[in-house]
Amino acid sequence: MKKVVESKFKRYLGWFFKLSLVGLVIFTVLMAYLDAKVRDKFEGKRWALPAKVFARPMELYSGLALKPKYLIQELEQIGYQRVPNVQTPGQYMVDGNEIDIYRRYVRLYDGEEVAARIHIRFDSAVISGLWVDGVPTEIARLEPLLIGGIYPKHNEDRLLIQLEDAPDLLLKTLVGVEDRDFYDHWGISPKGIARALMVNVQKGGLVQGGSTLTQQLVKNFFLTRERSLQRKAVEALMALLVEFHYDKDEILEAYLNEVYLGQSGRRAIHGFGLASQFYFGKHIKNLSAPEIATLVGMVKGPSVYNPKRKPENAMARRNVVLGVMQGQSLITPYEYKAWSMRELDVVQYTQYQRIEYPAFLDLVRRQLRSDYQEQDLTSEGLRIYTSLDPIIQRSAEQAVKKRLEDIERDFRLEKNGLQGAMVVASTESGEVEAVVGDRNPRYFGFNRALDAKRSIGSLAKPAVYLTALRGDQYNFVTPIDDAPIKVAGANGQVWEPQNYDHKSHGIVPLYQAMAKSLNQATARLGLNVGLSNVVSTFSDLGVERKLPAYPSIVLGAFELSPFNVAQMYQTIAASGFKTPLKAIRAVTTSKGDLLSRYGYEVKQTIKTEPAYLIQKAMQQVVKMGTARFLNSQFDKNLNLAGKTGTSDSQRDSWFTGFSGDKLAVVWVGRDDNKTMPITGAGGALRIWAHTFKDLPLKPLFPLPTENIVEHWVDVETGAISQENCPGVMKFPFINGKTPVQTTDCQSKPGKAWWSKLFGE
Amino acid sequence: MKYILLLSVVFLSACSTPVYHPTAILSSEVFDELPNWYDDRLGLQLQGNNHYPSGAHGSLLQQADQAFSQNNLQNCQIYLERAQRIATRDAGIYVRLSYLYWLQEKSSQALQTARRALSVVGQDELAKQEIQRLIEAIQKN
Repeated sequence: MKKVVESKFKRYLGWFFKLSLVGLVIFTVLMAYLDAKVRDKFEGKRWALPAKVFARPMELYSGLALKPKYLIQELEQIGYQRVPNVQTPGQYMVDGNEIDIYRRYVRLYDGEEVAARIHIRFDSAVISGLWVDGVPTEIARLEPLLIGGIYPKHNEDRLLIQLEDAPDLLLKTLVGVEDRDFYDHWGISPKGIARALMVNVQKGGLVQGGSTLTQQLVKNFFLTRERSLQRKAVEALMALLVEFHYDKDEILEAYLNEVYLGQSGRRAIHGFGLASQFYFGKHIKNLSAPEIATLVGMVKGPSVYNPKRKPENAMARRNVVLGVMQGQSLITPYEYKAWSMRELDVVQYTQYQRIEYPAFLDLVRRQLRSDYQEQDLTSEGLRIYTSLDPIIQRSAEQAVKKRLEDIERDFRLEKNGLQGAMVVASTESGEVEAVVGDRNPRYFGFNRALDAKRSIGSLAKPAVYLTALRGDQYNFVTPIDDAPIKVAGANGQVWEPQNYDHKSHGIVPLYQAMAKSLNQATARLGLNVGLSNVVSTFSDLGVERKLPAYPSIVLGAFELSPFNVAQMYQTIAASGFKTPLKAIRAVTTSKGDLLSRYGYEVKQTIKTEPAYLIQKAMQQVVKMGTARFLNSQFDKNLNLAGKTGTSDSQRDSWFTGFSGDKLAVVWVGRDDNKTMPITGAGGALRIWAHTFKDLPLKPLFPLPTENIVEHWVDVETGAISQENCPGVMKFPFINGKTPVQTTDCQSKPGKAWWSKLFGE
Repeated sequence: MKYILLLSVVFLSACSTPVYHPTAILSSEVFDELPNWYDDRLGLQLQGNNHYPSGAHGSLLQQADQAFSQNNLQNCQIYLERAQRIATRDAGIYVRLSYLYWLQEKSSQALQTARRALSVVGQDELAKQEIQRLIEAIQKN
């Protein structure tokens, strides 16, 4: 009997030994796995740093047309503080027509700008004097506005800090509130757990966690938010491993950068470095004690204690933290009392509380794709310098929003049914300065500026007229027949375009046919010059998609996005020199080393002379054609050029216009492609006007060459006449393509047909 | 002859990194083909004895030329592009840019930019001739 018991005992002992051995092996493997995971994370790149995207740095110089209010707007956006007396970088003051700025140090892709006092004198809306540190200067730059980031999928954003950047008071408060045994435990704190257990039992629920800072860090780094015993066990093991490998300072620094501290739209605010900028507009070094208390208080519940969204909760929590600070003699009772009464002093508008420009960022991202992998953009902390002009962008956003609301109100349309998009670019450099992709400019979704392919209607016509002017047969006064026209298609269908007013205007000179956007005359002209030639012109202008040589393309019965249209018209606005539209100037590493630059590129695709003529024709569109509304809104000396466009059944309202320096394309329509009660002139043109009415534009002077000659022409006959003769107008011609006929003064008295037609 | 000598000095001092140079540029007949940069209104004003336009864009041109003389072609181009944003139709900017592209053996871009210079130069016949000579020099190489 005894032997049987002994034998059983031995067998159980054997099993126990074997099981223990297996358990030990499993535990060792698990620990090895967790250890590798911990070390990999800590010794590799701990955080994916999103690329930061910057607007253009504002250049200030004498002679720059700039309203002081826009400079102030820019300063506010880049986080400058208006003060009565400028004393430190990041401040500015306004004194009558003078503005004094203490510029912060800024490193840009092409060098650095040191911290300096910039003094600007305005003469009405023009800078008349500029001084840097008291010395008269030709040019100075401000730091660029941070306009967004290219985030990883989890949208985490952070500003990395080092432990020595954090104020001692912050570290002590954080440890005091979250883990007062931090410097004594090995990753898990039995005392902390016991304390939490007691509090939870007393309160009858889960009100306090027993997690150490190390455990919290492990949870954020490696684990999910799941509440289970298994996860807690893994968390504890990993916390022990972290403590085994790394010292307390390393762990604390990682925690300061990792902790989640709220949300700004899609962007998750992580780390005290970014949180101090985001909530208080300050570098972490400069946080005050109550601000430290607010941020430390948020760790417990970033949403519940968010000082921007729930200030009452945040203030109560801040005061609890201040109480802990006082209890640990970090602050005096007097300070506790005084600071408990204080407002939160959260800033509403800082560089880091930024307005994002989703449509523009979308363009940036797409243009970077050819050179960078998505992972590099979302994790390497690259700095991307763009050409966005926040002043123009804001004006464009407001114009789109306001005009669409006005149209919906005036025509009693359903609210928010209309949509709009806009692209603004520099005519010469091809730099994109603003993009609106939705009437809600903060919407991260369908980007109509890039992706809404819509029928361009009459915006195609300049390409038809340009084709004619590139050839040998046509000049500005060549008569075109604006009469009914029918073209049979291959499938038996008949294409029979109508004019907007459902009338035919008979014989009209070429320039008038374009200025009045006559469909029948344009259709006839397009067929006469040859559809393949028209297609070639579109291609030369920068339309990349292959267009079918159908008759209807001459009236724009094909789809392009506003961005495509902007490229097409940039070539015209730059006198036939195509410059690929680009949004990026340069990319640097997070440390500022230049990785790539996107410089000026140009290619002449249209000869200067026909480009000159088409610019003149587009000026006529503004002067006396469908875009003459601009005459009432802008100084006539700007000599603006433009073209309205309305697609079939008024489904799309377009306008493109340019000055000597800016080009903008506007589209208005509905996503469901239903008709609208507005034309190009009634919708898109008004948005263009609203965008630029308060912004400085340079006048447009088309560039003639020695091959351009001017003649007085009798507009009724199209014959060369003389100045002072009745019914004559001066026209430019390409040398060798002038009218053959001549006429004298006496034979043609009275008003010309164009005067009768237009009443001028 | 004086101009050619000056030009030689400029090139030897400013373009000391052979990697950027089209090999042909160093031969003497190419110097003969080069435009006379010392025109008052155009050209690489490296010696400081030329007339820079007043104001911000003149200042940037001067800095561009300094960068060029230090063989910092990248910064030179950046200054020129900043100047271009201010004075979009200054032919001198495009001439310099063209020349930079040429030195970097981007002949096609050099040619197109020189054509742009020609299109914005206006009625200045001397300047036109200078740019035309630049275009011909680029085309020959």
